[in-house]
Amino acid sequence: MLLDIFTFTGRLHPLIVHLPIGFLLLAVLFDLLAYRPRYAYLRAAVPLTLLAGFAAAALACGFGYLLSLSGDYDAGVLGRHKRSGIFLAIVAGVLWALTIPRIRTRLQLPAKAFSALLAGLLLLTGYAGHLGGSLTHGDDYLSLAVLTAQKRALPASVEEAFIYEDVVQPMLVKKCGQCHRPGKLKGELSVQDLASLLKGGKSGPALVAGQPEQSELYKRITLDPDHEDFMPAEGKPPLKRSEVAIIRWWIAQASAAGGKKIGELKDPAAIQAQVAAFLGLGGTAAPVETVAGVEQRINPDIPLQADQQAIARLRQKGLMVRVMLHQPLMLDITLPAGSGRSINEIKDDLLKIGKNIIWLNLSANGFTEKDLAFLQELTNLEKLRLEKNPLGDGISAHIAALPHLEAVNLNETRISEAAVQQLAQHSQIRRVYSWKAGK
Amino acid sequence: MGHHHHHDEIFKLHTPDFRQLNKKLDRRTFLTKTSLGLGALAMGSLLGRDLFGSSPKAAAGAAAGAEADILKALPHFAPKAKRVVYLFMSGGPSQIETFDYKPGLAAMLGQDLPPSVRNGQRLTGMSANQSQLPVAPSIYKFNRHGKNETWVSELLPHTAQVVDDLCIVKSLYSEAINHDPAITFFQTGNQLPGRPSIGSWISYGLGSDNHNLPTFIVLVSRNGQKDQPLYARLWGNGFLPSKHQGVQFRAGGDPVLFLNNPEGYDGKDRKEMLEYLTKLNQLQNSAYGDPEVDARIAQYEMAYRMQTSVPEAMSMADEPDEVFDLYGPDSRDPGTYAANCILARKLLEKDVKFVQLYHQGWDQHGNLPQAIAQQCKATDQATAALIKDLKRRGLLEDTLVIWGGEFGRTVYSQGKLTATDYGRDHHPRCFTMWMAGAGVKAGISYGETDDFSYNIVKDPVHVHDFQATLLYLMGIDHERLTYKFQGRRFRLTDVEGKIVQGILAS
Repeated sequence: MLLDIFTFTGRLHPLIVHLPIGFLLLAVLFDLLAYRPRYAYLRAAVPLTLLAGFAAAALACGFGYLLSLSGDYDAGVLGRHKRSGIFLAIVAGVLWALTIPRIRTRLQLPAKAFSALLAGLLLLTGYAGHLGGSLTHGDDYLSLAVLTAQKRALPASVEEAFIYEDVVQPMLVKKCGQCHRPGKLKGELSVQDLASLLKGGKSGPALVAGQPEQSELYKRITLDPDHEDFMPAEGKPPLKRSEVAIIRWWIAQASAAGGKKIGELKDPAAIQAQVAAFLGLGGTAAPVETVAGVEQRINPDIPLQADQQAIARLRQKGLMVRVMLHQPLMLDITLPAGSGRSINEIKDDLLKIGKNIIWLNLSANGFTEKDLAFLQELTNLEKLRLEKNPLGDGISAHIAALPHLEAVNLNETRISEAAVQQLAQHSQIRRVYSWKAGK
Repeated sequence: MGHHHHHDEIFKLHTPDFRQLNKKLDRRTFLTKTSLGLGALAMGSLLGRDLFGSSPKAAAGAAAGAEADILKALPHFAPKAKRVVYLFMSGGPSQIETFDYKPGLAAMLGQDLPPSVRNGQRLTGMSANQSQLPVAPSIYKFNRHGKNETWVSELLPHTAQVVDDLCIVKSLYSEAINHDPAITFFQTGNQLPGRPSIGSWISYGLGSDNHNLPTFIVLVSRNGQKDQPLYARLWGNGFLPSKHQGVQFRAGGDPVLFLNNPEGYDGKDRKEMLEYLTKLNQLQNSAYGDPEVDARIAQYEMAYRMQTSVPEAMSMADEPDEVFDLYGPDSRDPGTYAANCILARKLLEKDVKFVQLYHQGWDQHGNLPQAIAQQCKATDQATAALIKDLKRRGLLEDTLVIWGGEFGRTVYSQGKLTATDYGRDHHPRCFTMWMAGAGVKAGISYGETDDFSYNIVKDPVHVHDFQATLLYLMGIDHERLTYKFQGRRFRLTDVEGKIVQGILAS
């Protein structure tokens, strides 16, 4: 319990620490301004401001010490931060003491010298503060390297991508790097680079080349999420199934090594979709998944976007355009039965979003097979309802080649039994409905 | 409401009545209104999925933030089903006389249920004090049907014909042992009343596909034994906006009460009256921002449209004889289960999203052999006909059919076991349901029970798992469709539920 209070109080350090920074800055500001006659009265405020800065700095030191007990920080940076922080508090205290009239008169310190000391205090504040920031956000958070860093260019294709450098490394840094990085090192592990991973942490090396099941890293991310060793810990967002698959593939096929292009390794097809999704390559989509554990395979030819003006126009004309999935953008479109719309009123807009239409219902609208010739361009259609339209056998030619069409409803059309048989046998359409057709 | 009228002055906020009302603006209402800007919420279901459409009202209510974000993300998965028809067999049909074939029981007729099977699990007060728990095998025979030679009871000859379309789950289990909590649990995910029904969640999450009919419609059979009561809260909206509640259509006469205009009052009068009423309600709404006002406006408008759409949807005039023959002789008698099955098909054809039928009378503590035969006779043919009818119309492609009760029944006889008679008590530890149509595997049995149909030995499916799977098939992640109420986010599956992957069609 006591320990909990310490931990809690310790976590207030990042809040408290801004108080001395503010006070000390203000002291410097007052001191400088006081050189101008207009603001000379501010000099009287310097001692009190310094005293407040000193007190706040001392408090921040105490809280900071409690926070440091929770561990998990890079010892080197932490040590420097601690020492510089304590030194800062002492210096602030000494400077305040110098303003006490009795001491000031005895020392006869010139005003300019005092100001110089204050400036020194400011530098010290900056140094200690920067170290604190590095502890929280990482060494590289505010460094010259950030300014000069070159962003890795996006690979042109999955085959061209380096499995570690382009995929695994950024993934691990994003998902695990907040805790496992130089400066934080939870479980003494950093995921920053390959060498650190191979060196491993408290539980030994994170990787065993070629053997995902033996690799601590893979084991930890595939445990039951309720297991206490599961990573990421503390309810942080877990890796997606596709990301787990990528890591598995990397350990197995790329021997958990760097410098390997996906296209030059064995069985790149197994990981193609997952990597494409991770890199956001080429406007095609990969398996859509959730933490619910269900993975749906989505036709990668479905675009991520659709012409929204075309959709708006279709809606205005009374069509029901429903989103089946946001990414990729899959649409389910229904023209209400007996809408009175001619095909020419809607065809162009349907074609504009043709690749996004997955389910389409044009039933009972008086369409003939000639009207519906455009259907052959809706190549991502999976379910098509054309029942109760005066369609003849000619409709087959427009839909037989649709590569993803699973089911077509031709109930109460004029299509003949023979044509239905033909369609069912010579296309990939699995279910052709033809109840009361052919009359 | 575009036209102006010289009576408009009366719609001002300065009347004494309104000032009086204003004083009553209490702290809670004020906080709710100012912190959430709930005004736009009620519009959610019609606008939420309208990804590209925007309305002034939706824009004005941008503050509805969190709610809108939840709705905007829907659907979470590409849906398999667009509609659901849920055939609720209220009372708890015996799995032992219907689908869970246990031939080994015949040899144990009348013997005491081995204690190792029950293993100290609780019984209801109705049979806990029996000196014996005699094993009662089904007196009805089972036969193999369909391509996969699935065992189906002779009580269900019609269902047996469509068994290749069914996904039979034999390993459902519930936590509740009495009717009210059990049925409430099935409908709302919680045993205590007050949460929204499944259909309400779906209406809230996915909105409507037919703006002239309610999204969630309920039909209760007239010809089921009224052994256990049903109540409107089973299809209630709970804390969701009230327009998501299930609307019960009554048998015969007026399907929806008070929908017809009074005598001497024509449609034009009605429309004008509604326009003024809407104005008044909107004033009220701008003053208080109570989402229930929006719900009420929407309900009045819906009721007006239903004055035409309901009689049309409920009319059997266009149905050929062949349809009545398919659903059986009862189907000509309005309000029977069979007639309701035809209605359900008609409503599904009109893209009503969630149709729930209830048929009571399955609570057979005694006289089970005779009573269950009667129940099956009243439902079997129409149930199978619904599957056949939806299938030939191509609607099984995107319609999910669900059949089941709130729990199963015990293998031992409640009361005296004779050669021709026995009863069965409530049994929540295992029971059978089936699904058919969109997104589920056809012609399979999932899950297994032990030799006594007492405990589950393989692939248990909890009520929350069933609900999670149902939502999944509609494109909803059960963990992400939430509604914040009284400081907590609620969902249908509470904090549990896993999608039953084994029954999903690939």
